[in-house]
Amino acid sequence: MSLRDLSDARFAERYACDRFTATVLANRFRYVVEHMCAQLLTTAFSPILRDFYDFAATVTGAPAANYPTPAVSNSIILFTGTMTDSIRNTIEEYGVQRLQPGDVIVANDPYRTGTHVNDLLFCRPVFADGAVAGFVNLKAHQLDMGGAVPGGFSTTKRTTYENGLVLSPRALYRAREPVRETFSLIFDNVRFAELLLPDMITICANLDLGERLLTETIERYGVAAVHGAIEYVCDASAERIADGLAALPDGEWEGEAVLDADGVDAEERFVVHAKVIKRGDRAEVDLSGTSRQARTSINGTALDAKSTVGTVLKLLFDPRSPFTSGVIRPVDVVLPEGTIVSALPPDGPAFIYWEGTQALLTALLRAFSQVIGAAAFGGDHGSANLHSGFGVHPDGTPWAVVGAAGGEQGPYGATDAGDGEPFAIGTYQANGMSPAIEAIEHDFPVVILRREPIPDTGGAGEHRGGDAIVKDSVWFEPAIHNCISLRFREPSGFGVNGGRDGATGGVWIWEDEADHTRLRPLDAASFAGSTPMTGTLDPRTNAPDPAGEYVWFGRRPVWQTPAGGLLRYLTNGAGGWGDPLARDPERVRVDVRDGFVTVAGAARDYGVVIEGDPERDPEGLVVDGAATERLRRERHGGR
Amino acid sequence: MPHVFPRPSEERLHARRTPAEATCPQCGSADVADYRVLSDGGWWDVRKCQACLHSLSRTPGPMFGSFEPLRPPGA
Repeated sequence: MSLRDLSDARFAERYACDRFTATVLANRFRYVVEHMCAQLLTTAFSPILRDFYDFAATVTGAPAANYPTPAVSNSIILFTGTMTDSIRNTIEEYGVQRLQPGDVIVANDPYRTGTHVNDLLFCRPVFADGAVAGFVNLKAHQLDMGGAVPGGFSTTKRTTYENGLVLSPRALYRAREPVRETFSLIFDNVRFAELLLPDMITICANLDLGERLLTETIERYGVAAVHGAIEYVCDASAERIADGLAALPDGEWEGEAVLDADGVDAEERFVVHAKVIKRGDRAEVDLSGTSRQARTSINGTALDAKSTVGTVLKLLFDPRSPFTSGVIRPVDVVLPEGTIVSALPPDGPAFIYWEGTQALLTALLRAFSQVIGAAAFGGDHGSANLHSGFGVHPDGTPWAVVGAAGGEQGPYGATDAGDGEPFAIGTYQANGMSPAIEAIEHDFPVVILRREPIPDTGGAGEHRGGDAIVKDSVWFEPAIHNCISLRFREPSGFGVNGGRDGATGGVWIWEDEADHTRLRPLDAASFAGSTPMTGTLDPRTNAPDPAGEYVWFGRRPVWQTPAGGLLRYLTNGAGGWGDPLARDPERVRVDVRDGFVTVAGAARDYGVVIEGDPERDPEGLVVDGAATERLRRERHGGR
Repeated sequence: MPHVFPRPSEERLHARRTPAEATCPQCGSADVADYRVLSDGGWWDVRKCQACLHSLSRTPGPMFGSFEPLRPPGA
């Protein structure tokens, strides 16, 4: 029987409250996590928390209920699906019986908690009537967690021992008193400790807030109703996903996506293979056929793979309601351990986990696109294109910029509702905030010269995929760059329902002594003089070329620019939706006017003949109706 | 269970499903298998019908899958 069909009496019997109260409490749980996040956003010290929103908050139910998660914050999706398991694993290993009011338990081991070692999980038990009634939690990125590479963002670390400090579950605070040895263990092993300390104090203050709000909720409604509402929220999520699956025909569908290479060489590419097996209102996602784990730190763990499956289920079947731990209930994930998305220690270091899970997301969306019809949507730019830069100011002060100067922001794919957004805030999963250019330039020795779409790079379609985004930055002090882009061998922005794939991008530096503060053109000739870092490129011009050669990012152990050097990121374009020849010619004219499509691209990709000059007279552009009709008829084979 | 694992020698990996002597009570199929899955609640060792995906049994699996931290006895 569905939840909707339960009588009021049966509902109250099952959930220890009435429907109205359950709904009020469901919103209250979200209120708690959003308040924790809002306060942390406004009080954090690290730019990656303050400007990128690289953290998440959850409310978790009681251990006796197996740690259900009724509310996650509207922050980076990568965190949300792993939070349930990470809190369960952390508290069970630490010991529920050892908990006391005011404790903060931390852990960061990817094989226990998912994501990577820099994402430190902070759990605060919430007590009622002397027992643990639930938890409020924050998982927040720390600027450094030790290891071989400052900041940790590297594709080159070969074992977990190089990857960073691993913390099994332990107390950071006991009964609101700091645990000296835990702080020392962390700060004796990490860089930028003086920045991490105030961040950690702030995070724990936000746990205080969350604890207070959840305690007030329990005092007002009673612990039984709160627990009942938590169960209800998760049951409702599971039911909506099951209903979505039930509406599909039974069948099996497969998809794949590729990661370019690891940090050892370019010989081994890494395939993520997903098979969806659907029967009735349940399904399995089997990742058999996926490549073994990489030799360097581009791996993810099984918890990240599970999180991605949950994300896809939400996107396709229940996009409008909050994420809960119930989302995954109708689906079993079957995954061989030791793959690039289920790596094991010590030879499968997990750090750049999101590149593999983003490939898994692509593979799953490709599989589901074969059966969900109009609801399928195009692929995104696919890689977080995460940049981290480091240097030392002339006065000897070190600086580190993370997630601000690379290709982190790129396009989304088209849907049945419309075109893909070119200036999306991140990939479908690494959807952090877009840091303000002014803040980046204020804090670091860099000027962002441009961040703009490149015409004709989005996948053509009745609804157009978002164009690739180019970002040029000039570095005014010598800088070291870690550039993590693993999706340039193949288009990540796959088209659906007849839509075309988006273009592939790349990363380049200019190391010469020319004045790079003047904007370079964006045509193929503009790549002359560059040193390509990665991409599938024409070896003569260094410009992107799908028939070109893959350039491996690991050719140099460290990428550096001198003072005045230029760094260029070009993301992949996103996928289109539907037949491009079905796009309204008037919409194509507007695309040309707005710089998303060129006059030549309008004819080539859409069969639309545009007359006029988009640069000198954009409002004077017109569609040549007769020529367009002829061209489209030719494209349809004269029909 | 181990706490360290070598890199697999096979380039592509496949999950193992062990055929089980059982009949699905829901659809009557004899195509039933034992294997480990990850779902709501963590890892599970399941016996499932391969025809209709009905779970004949679901037993909680190890907390971290195959990985088990190295500890002294009693810890």
